[in-house]
Amino acid sequence: MTVFKGYMKILKKNLGLVSIYLVIFFSVAMALQAAARKDRLEDFQKTSVNVAVADQDDSILSHALTDYLGTIHNVSEISSDPAVMQEELYYRNTEYIVQIPKNFYETCIVQGTPISVTKVPGSYTSFYVDQQINAWLNNIRTYISAGFSQEEASKAALVQPTAEVSMYQDATTITETPGYTYYFRYVPYLFLAVLCYSMGYLLLAFQKEDIQKRMQASAISIRRQNLEGLLAMFTLGFGLWLIAIIGAVIMYQKDFLASRVLLYYLLNTFLMMTVALSLSYLLGLFIKNSNMLSGISNIVSLGMCFLSGVFVPMSIMDKKVLKIAQFLPVYWYESINETLSQYRTVSVDIAVDIWKSMGIEVMFTLAFLTIILAVSKYKRQR
Amino acid sequence: MIHIENLVKRYGDLVALNHLNLDIHEGEIFGLLGPNGSGKTTAINCLLSLLKYDKGTIEVFGQSMSPDNYEAKKQIGIVLQNVAVFDELTVYENIDYFCGLYISDKKKRKELVDEAIQFVGLEDYCKMRPKKLSGGLLRRLNIACGIAHKPRLIILDEPTVAVDPQSRNKILEGIQKLNEQGSTIIYTSHYMEEVEQICTRIAIMDHGRVIASGTTEELKKMIKTGETITVEAIPLEEKHLQNIRNLPHVFDIHYENQILTLRCTGAQHNLIRLLNYLQSQDITFGRVFSELPTLNDVFLEITGKQLRD
Repeated sequence: MTVFKGYMKILKKNLGLVSIYLVIFFSVAMALQAAARKDRLEDFQKTSVNVAVADQDDSILSHALTDYLGTIHNVSEISSDPAVMQEELYYRNTEYIVQIPKNFYETCIVQGTPISVTKVPGSYTSFYVDQQINAWLNNIRTYISAGFSQEEASKAALVQPTAEVSMYQDATTITETPGYTYYFRYVPYLFLAVLCYSMGYLLLAFQKEDIQKRMQASAISIRRQNLEGLLAMFTLGFGLWLIAIIGAVIMYQKDFLASRVLLYYLLNTFLMMTVALSLSYLLGLFIKNSNMLSGISNIVSLGMCFLSGVFVPMSIMDKKVLKIAQFLPVYWYESINETLSQYRTVSVDIAVDIWKSMGIEVMFTLAFLTIILAVSKYKRQR
Repeated sequence: MIHIENLVKRYGDLVALNHLNLDIHEGEIFGLLGPNGSGKTTAINCLLSLLKYDKGTIEVFGQSMSPDNYEAKKQIGIVLQNVAVFDELTVYENIDYFCGLYISDKKKRKELVDEAIQFVGLEDYCKMRPKKLSGGLLRRLNIACGIAHKPRLIILDEPTVAVDPQSRNKILEGIQKLNEQGSTIIYTSHYMEEVEQICTRIAIMDHGRVIASGTTEELKKMIKTGETITVEAIPLEEKHLQNIRNLPHVFDIHYENQILTLRCTGAQHNLIRLLNYLQSQDITFGRVFSELPTLNDVFLEITGKQLRD
């Protein structure tokens, strides 16, 4: 196993860079998970604003508006003196001041003159109060047009219709995306970046013309050399896959292990690893030096991941971009990942779609292997 | 030990090996001498089955040589013209790796690797990577990688190219030592002095074929030149040149940039005769050299061109 050991020794020299990629990967995965937790909407609570009312009309309707605002906000009375109002706003005792003018009904409801309000500049809560006052005024106009008296309209406008919402959750779909979905979405970048770099590094060493000549002249058959080389590369890929899976187990523990779609995740990542392994081998055949290696590794890994929904969710990506991405293997990995993130268990219909995507991943691997064989044969003949 | 017969290798229209015939015997240091492009490396590559050839037969250790004759390959050590080591591995790891291609037993391999390191004098550089080594040390590492498994036949393809004189001497001494330890050596070079110094038998190649072979003495006897005399800073007229040409045993003269070169047959007193003539004509001159024939003279006489060209 001299050749195998040689590959592993050279790989060992590359461990520093692999470690950097692993640290980046796990840091990003943890950051994504933390961000996902923050985004989760767990409850909703109405907020009340301190609203002050300067009522110069003292009528049924002006009282009705004050009462209406009182059902939503903390309402207090205030003097009409501008100096007082400015002071209250300045010290943030109130955020919104409503000035109800004399002849409120005539000016604001019949003639439609806007109510004069003073509010804290740039406050987004004021915007909601504006909307609520406008809604109340419209309601009053509607009731009065319908023949209601001011008193009746005031009472009717005070009643706010409510509806009860029942949440239904079935056994197969998931309302909350599991944390490991984000983790697995990012896995192709780890595979592509690490494998492109490591395989390129290995092939750069072993594909040198003089080294190849030296190896061909040795007592170990070319077939055995190739087999040991392939075994070393597969060991690298398998090791990386194992690290990714162990990482998921450590980070998500029972959540991940108890998932009914666990096997799909394992198989999908394994297939992605084989795609990345074969693609990186193919690219490695064309790499001439270390500068070219880092350039190609970054372009392929980042480019493919950006286009295929690794860094940006597929749901918000442009449809044209997604059409192009279908020609890339990572797209099919991510489409399985997206599907799995929506279901607790996989029905036959969904499973068929998943198996189709997995089949396409296998086809990509086979296509890359065919090209590798053709390129290698061409190189040997040359 | 090695028998090559009518070997032909073509690269398109270019004939790299033109019915090459060679016989190399056990225990020899066999030199393949020739200018760049004469076919030395192609012959070595065919011998190692690294290249397919168009015609001919190659036998090594009495067996026909083929890419899958691993029994024969096990007994061959190869030191390629270009340094073939891994930049990523240390000196020790490189030698251990290439030795491992022949010796699987770890303990035995360790002994052999240590011995090879000592042999090429790289004890102080074991943990260094090849990029940190000088050209000479790198060549020594290349040799250590090729000989660590103690092969019966060692092929060294121009191992002293771009090497400082000190390292070159160390390498040449090492090759002689390997031969003393029982290995047969094939040594290719375009440095005639090296070949003359260490080889027991030499084949001179040009245009893909052997134009002469034998021991150094045998090769030198093949040619007319017995002595070459060079006189520097000498102003001569045509009549002087004619007179010098007519001196006994002089068969070729060359005069350019006030440098006179005479080639004489093996007779003695050629230099005295020339100096007497110059004195009689009152001709001043600078430094004078007298050289016995070299392999370059052999090559020059056979091909009409310098080996160094």
